[in-house]
Amino acid sequence: MSTETAPVPARTPAAPGRPGRVGRLPRVLLAIAGGLVVLAAVRAVTGADDLTSNGAVRAAIQAAVPIGLAGLGGLFAERAGVVNIGLEGQLILGTWFGAFASVHWGPWAGVVAAIVGGGLGGLLHALATVTFGVDHIVSGVAITILAGGATRYLSSLTFAEMDGGGVNQSPPGDELPRLSVPGLSALDGLEDRHWFLVSDLTGILRGALTEVSALTVIAVAIVPLAFWLLWRTGFGLRLRSVGENPRAAESLGVAVYRFKYYGVVISGALAGLGGGFLSIVASNIYREGQTNGRGFIGLAAMIFGNWRPGGLAGGALLFGYTDALQLRRGSESVHALLLVVAVLLLAVALWQATRRRYRPAGLGLALAVLSLVWFFATTTVPVPFVQFAPHLTTLVVLALAAQRLRPPAADGVPYQRGGG
Amino acid sequence: MRRLHGMKLLAAAGVVVVALGVAACGGNDDKEPSSGDSTSAKRTIKVGLAYDIGGRGDKSFNDAAAAGLDKVAKDLDVDKKELEAAPNETENDKYTRLKLLCQGGYNPIIAVGFAYAGNDPANGPLAKAAKDCPNSHFAIIDDSSVTADNVASLVFAEEQGSFLVGAAAALKSKTATVGFIGGCEVPLIKKFEAGYVAGAKAVNPDITVLVNYLSTPADKCSGFNDAAKGETSTGGLIDAGADVVYQAAGGSGTGVFKAVKAKGKLAIGVDSDQYNTVSDDLKEVIITSMLKRVDVAVYDFVTDEANGTFTNGVTTFDLKAEGVGYSTSGGKVDDIKSKLDEYQQKIIDGEITVPTEPATS
Repeated sequence: MSTETAPVPARTPAAPGRPGRVGRLPRVLLAIAGGLVVLAAVRAVTGADDLTSNGAVRAAIQAAVPIGLAGLGGLFAERAGVVNIGLEGQLILGTWFGAFASVHWGPWAGVVAAIVGGGLGGLLHALATVTFGVDHIVSGVAITILAGGATRYLSSLTFAEMDGGGVNQSPPGDELPRLSVPGLSALDGLEDRHWFLVSDLTGILRGALTEVSALTVIAVAIVPLAFWLLWRTGFGLRLRSVGENPRAAESLGVAVYRFKYYGVVISGALAGLGGGFLSIVASNIYREGQTNGRGFIGLAAMIFGNWRPGGLAGGALLFGYTDALQLRRGSESVHALLLVVAVLLLAVALWQATRRRYRPAGLGLALAVLSLVWFFATTTVPVPFVQFAPHLTTLVVLALAAQRLRPPAADGVPYQRGGG
Repeated sequence: MRRLHGMKLLAAAGVVVVALGVAACGGNDDKEPSSGDSTSAKRTIKVGLAYDIGGRGDKSFNDAAAAGLDKVAKDLDVDKKELEAAPNETENDKYTRLKLLCQGGYNPIIAVGFAYAGNDPANGPLAKAAKDCPNSHFAIIDDSSVTADNVASLVFAEEQGSFLVGAAAALKSKTATVGFIGGCEVPLIKKFEAGYVAGAKAVNPDITVLVNYLSTPADKCSGFNDAAKGETSTGGLIDAGADVVYQAAGGSGTGVFKAVKAKGKLAIGVDSDQYNTVSDDLKEVIITSMLKRVDVAVYDFVTDEANGTFTNGVTTFDLKAEGVGYSTSGGKVDDIKSKLDEYQQKIIDGEITVPTEPATS
């Protein structure tokens, strides 16, 4: 099936630090700085102060964490060659187990239980897909449906009898500590001055570095950790080789089944942690339906990030940011975002024009003009569009980035030991 | 060999988990009719209750309906069957549920929640079930769009109750800015908004009312179950200056209260007296709740049915009928109670007409 005889780490567009990839970090930083200036300018022009307020940034990070953790979960499974569409189900298991343990034994026990609960969901998925060769999508969908039913049943056995609980919700649990970098509160007054760039930076810093939940810190730390584990250790090399070319890996003595199990169980555990974040930090109760499709969005964030931790964290943040904006002062902020979109599209059009690619340049220009007209013709954006904005953003970025994406070569391909 | 054995164990575990899930799908409360204190004067009435998402134990809307039924069960001999809805279910599931109750001989059947009317009320779950079971009596709570000879619509004047808490919010606000969080942008929740805004403006014509909705029908009104969204959204309103926030967002309400508490502001509850249902640490922020007496509606409907009277069409439970109102638990509105009662009397007398749709949009 393949002419390659060795696991193929060399082909993965992986490690920064490799020759030819050195220019990447400055470029990313430049793009972030540029985006910041555009945001600050738009905020100054439109007066939509929520664009860079500390509340919005804090809410964005909080919204991004469960999505990012689900995305990291998807990353581990798919790097091992198993599509895990059951992330949503593992997220649900995480919310339930997290809340259950949190109510009984405190929030940190809840975090552990959420990881275990999600991991069990991952184990089930691994059992079905790796051992029994069930179609990955079918198993994943089944797990999502199963998780909803199982947690409802468990709730009726446990939470229903408790004070403040019910068949579809848990009693409230205690909260995890929130951490702040000392000294930043001195910047309080600066943000309210609404100075161009200075106030924006203060808002973002305060949002990102004060009143941050301990679990958020852990979740953020997992991103580089996942990169290190997958691209800098022997374990990661074997796991990825299983996702790229399992037969070659097997011929070199890698225990393919075992590594697929590792990948999928870690995947479930990470999604479970994301669920735990929802029921312990984002809200301190379990409530049926509270995952609300975040597992699927996490999967989209993973694809957006080209099956890499840094990229998927960026995707999760982008989604979290638009979601936080629309939830907080939706019609105002999203209206201001139209201007941001117009500026970005204009930049894309110019860039394409300099490369003499006039067709995409024209398209970008037309869309930019369209959003400009929309911006000036209205004062607010209708609610249904506002609520669709995060999904639209993800969709547009995915559509634009799709040509450059490269999934693991054997992703989603059923593998039988010794099969032809 | 050992490995094979391990696989078998795992497989068995898998089967058990699947079986659990199936059991969960079939699980519904089938409480035995209360026996023991039955006297000969009581008549047996078979009542079917089809819940909205959440079901008995949701501490809110469904529980209020259940409380009404429980109250009836004290006065009459009731054989009740309660079925629960699942999140993300289809309209056909709702239809099947109603049909199941009617085939089981339950009469009357109460559909709890506007979702039972469906997107197309003329052919929605309730309309179809009512057509299939012409001899059964149906009631639907919170909807007046289904018209049939055997369907009674039990609706509430939420705008009137919301007017009163809107007035309370304006009287308590120090920033002349108050907030409203709606769980889903549907006409029903817009009634809450309209009344709230009108009440606030009646007290202070220059007041700013900030409004946020958490979801739309397009995402199946997920905003009723997402406390995280409620918290984020409330934080936005408070950062924009609101110091009293009224929530009509069902299960997302705890998130609203949490955000309000974190910022040291005030909140207003909805449907039931939420001062009594939230955890102790959140009690201090709730100044009042807009009461919607679903229990009264269910009780009246079933009692009438037992006495042989059934009125099809719309029955509105308003301030006059004590179907809506405001709560005073916690004593946070004692100082403004006389003013609120004054507005209440004006609405009952017809001096004030409360709008049912927000002025803009």
